[in-house]
Amino acid sequence: MSGGPAIGVRAPEAMQTLSGSARERPPGRRSHWLFLIWILFGALFFLIPLLSTILFSVKPKPWYLAYVNTFTDPKFFSSLLYSFGIGLATIVGVLLLLVPTAYWVHLRMPRWRPIVEFITLLPFVIPAVVLVFGLIRVYGSRQLPLLSAPFGGDVLLVAAYIVLALPYMYRSIDVGLRSIDVRSLTEAAQSLGAGWPRILFTIILPNLRVALLSGAFLTLAIVMGEFTIAVFLARPAFGPYLSLIGQNKAFEPASASIISFGITWLAMGLIAYIGRGQRGQTRTVGAR
Amino acid sequence: MDALVAAAQAEGNLTTIALPDDWCNYREMIDTFKTKYGIEVNELDPNAGSGDEVEAIKANKDNPGPQAPDVIDVGLAFGPTAKDEGLIQPYKVETWDSIPADAKDADGYWWGDYYGVLSFEVNTAVVSNVPQDWSDLLKPEYKNQVALAGDPRSSNQAIQTVFAAALANGGSLDNAQPGLDFFKQLNDAGNFVPTIAKPGTIAQGETPITIRWTYNALSNRDGTAASGGPEIAVVVPTSGRFAGVYVQGISAYAPHPNAAKLWQEFMYSDEGQNIWLKGYCHPIRYEDLVATDAVPADQLAKLPDVAGAVFPTLAQLDAAKELITTQWDSVVGVDVVE
Amino acid sequence: MASATPAAEGQGVRFVRPVRRRSFTWLGLVPFFLFAALFIFLPAAFLVVGSFQGPDDQFTLQNYADLTSTEFIVGAFRNSLEISAVTAIFGASFGFVLAYALISSGTPGWIRTPFLTFAGVASNFAGVPLALAFVFTFGNLGLVTVALRELGIDIYSSGFTLYSKLGLEMTYMYFQLPLMILIIAPAIEGMKKEWREASENLGASSFHYWRYVAFPILLPSLLGTMILLFGNAFGAHATAFQLTGGTINIVTIVIGSQIRGDVLHNPGLGYAMAMGMVIIMAGSITAYSLLQRRSERWLR
Repeated sequence: MSGGPAIGVRAPEAMQTLSGSARERPPGRRSHWLFLIWILFGALFFLIPLLSTILFSVKPKPWYLAYVNTFTDPKFFSSLLYSFGIGLATIVGVLLLLVPTAYWVHLRMPRWRPIVEFITLLPFVIPAVVLVFGLIRVYGSRQLPLLSAPFGGDVLLVAAYIVLALPYMYRSIDVGLRSIDVRSLTEAAQSLGAGWPRILFTIILPNLRVALLSGAFLTLAIVMGEFTIAVFLARPAFGPYLSLIGQNKAFEPASASIISFGITWLAMGLIAYIGRGQRGQTRTVGAR
Repeated sequence: MDALVAAAQAEGNLTTIALPDDWCNYREMIDTFKTKYGIEVNELDPNAGSGDEVEAIKANKDNPGPQAPDVIDVGLAFGPTAKDEGLIQPYKVETWDSIPADAKDADGYWWGDYYGVLSFEVNTAVVSNVPQDWSDLLKPEYKNQVALAGDPRSSNQAIQTVFAAALANGGSLDNAQPGLDFFKQLNDAGNFVPTIAKPGTIAQGETPITIRWTYNALSNRDGTAASGGPEIAVVVPTSGRFAGVYVQGISAYAPHPNAAKLWQEFMYSDEGQNIWLKGYCHPIRYEDLVATDAVPADQLAKLPDVAGAVFPTLAQLDAAKELITTQWDSVVGVDVVE
Repeated sequence: MASATPAAEGQGVRFVRPVRRRSFTWLGLVPFFLFAALFIFLPAAFLVVGSFQGPDDQFTLQNYADLTSTEFIVGAFRNSLEISAVTAIFGASFGFVLAYALISSGTPGWIRTPFLTFAGVASNFAGVPLALAFVFTFGNLGLVTVALRELGIDIYSSGFTLYSKLGLEMTYMYFQLPLMILIIAPAIEGMKKEWREASENLGASSFHYWRYVAFPILLPSLLGTMILLFGNAFGAHATAFQLTGGTINIVTIVIGSQIRGDVLHNPGLGYAMAMGMVIIMAGSITAYSLLQRRSERWLR
């Protein structure tokens, strides 16, 4: 399932920053320590699988063998690059699709907002495996042979990922738009003679920068690891690659995982860094 | 032949299915084919079983996209059924005559490619006392350790494993029922792991004992050693030695029929057959190759000793396949699911 | 809007009557709706229509009837529901306690921030590396398994195996827990400290505070998030596929097998299964939204 919290997330105005001051009265010393023990267990639960992966990745003799094998496997880089490219295409696609739409709804057609929002929430109801089921049956048919067209599968993959990204990207953009005075900016720009494209690119987009960037990095992280849609569309993405070596090799899956974690964390770290100013958004999407 | 090469190159693509890298050295086969003819190979689902391959043709009858396989490599019993369902088209490779008659369809719809014998593949880091025969598998020391290398309702390797167990359990080539009983016993004893064994799961310890064709077990042993992994032991069971043949077929709905035919010609040339041999498989033209001295001596030496192995006939295979695929759920009662 | 157009020099100002034009503003939404139509509605419609089609393309409700009568499919739904419910309940409970522990003032910021950041990472973990990580931890040769063996405890010989429903549930906790933490944290923060102080002034013990003040207020959020967790687990595919080799009998895996080849020997049944999933997900999302709206009353 994709991104539940986008529904429930409080608008920034209604929410304290997560690392802000706690609202509860300081509990007694005993419960203080109890909490810390809980947190310790929590930390252990999260860290141990990662530690195991690292340890497995250096189990062979010599310790770097798995990493060497991973780096010298041409499919590792080709699948990584492919997924990265698809990720970029998805980001561009989502932005091209949603920014003008959100802007238009905001400015000119506010009555359509509920309908547009409803559509962006549909991906929650249609899990990835069901989505790809429908896509393959529709576009693999004789009537709409998109699947067999050159790059048809890639186009479908990007489209599917755009669908997955809709919920949180729309919410990001929407919240961003609400925090700037769209109407005044537009009117000012128009009175200075700017046309729509100019307004969108030079006025609106820069103001949404933070929201867009964090959404973009999240999208990238998810596309890089996604498995279900890529495997059923028979695309040479990183997810299916990792799955395959996980089934066929002993230690290379660990080294490849570590590398993919590194990439995910880099993306998330960037989100955290960029999102410092705009707190209070949590998102989860399903690439599970 | 030149016309075929030109036509295949015009198509530019070949879609294969269910060809793992280390199964009969398919990695080298595919890479050599790619470089030799400049044709791209789209490899679908290396983990598919024979039944899945046939299903993939059916599911993509109207879809000439990259999900539709051009060629299949399935267990002997799956050839005639695919022919009956109209899913494959006839073709006779140039070296057709050197393929033994009992390993090919007279009309050219399917033809044998290689054979091997079922053996135990054991991860010695988990299992210190390597089982030597089928009856050993039932011992309590192997709790939660024995797995099939496929789903016995659709994977040829798994179906033949159950069939082979019959030989060691009081059955015969005409009676596969004891094989099902054996696995029921195995499951009741808690020794059976209902997960499909793969090289990764074997090396990671998930399925430390599995039954696979000698060629798979041996190349996996080599591959795991190359990864710095645990030592794999390959044991051909003392009783119940069971040999199996696989066959090639070209999909009747193949999006790239000429590339498919060229692929077949390549595999059945001396060069192709030797590539299979390097992967510890006995290629179907083995007798012919040996007679014409086309096999390097060191390769020959590496082939496993499969003395005493029995080859079931097509009729026996059909009966056993029917029995095992339909009865597995009710007799053994475990889905290789959950 | 009347516009004043200065005419040529020397003449008076002329007022131009506004021209009524057909509004084309709706065109701005066309790309979005076109995309939605092509890639959401069309596939969905195909599945819906297909679920009502019999083998000869006639209209039938038989597929839905088969959903409840085919043992294998009922088993798949039962397994999926069980795994989702278990991970939702445990994820919500432990996640709530962890979130509370994190938010409470006794916890220094240098613990809180990295933990919450990491929760963001963990909740979005891709299924395949997650399953692999758990194999490396709790598998036959996993770190924890081997460590326990050194201590004399062999979990595998006592019947445990990672490659089972239980193992899958453990693996799912890895993303369910952080998801809970992330979503419930704002709700916990929304608890005003005045309420606690007021209840203490009135002589209420900690237990009373929780029983009569805190939990009733938090309950809609808790329940709603639990339902969200449920839906999250229900739709998961990659983790289950990688952990069990695609062999576990849950709804997403069965649908996956159906995509590859008609394992159900009835395409309409496959579509009905997909629709069954959609209905369950829709139900959980609706329940979540309703509960969220309830909770907003107090936690603004």
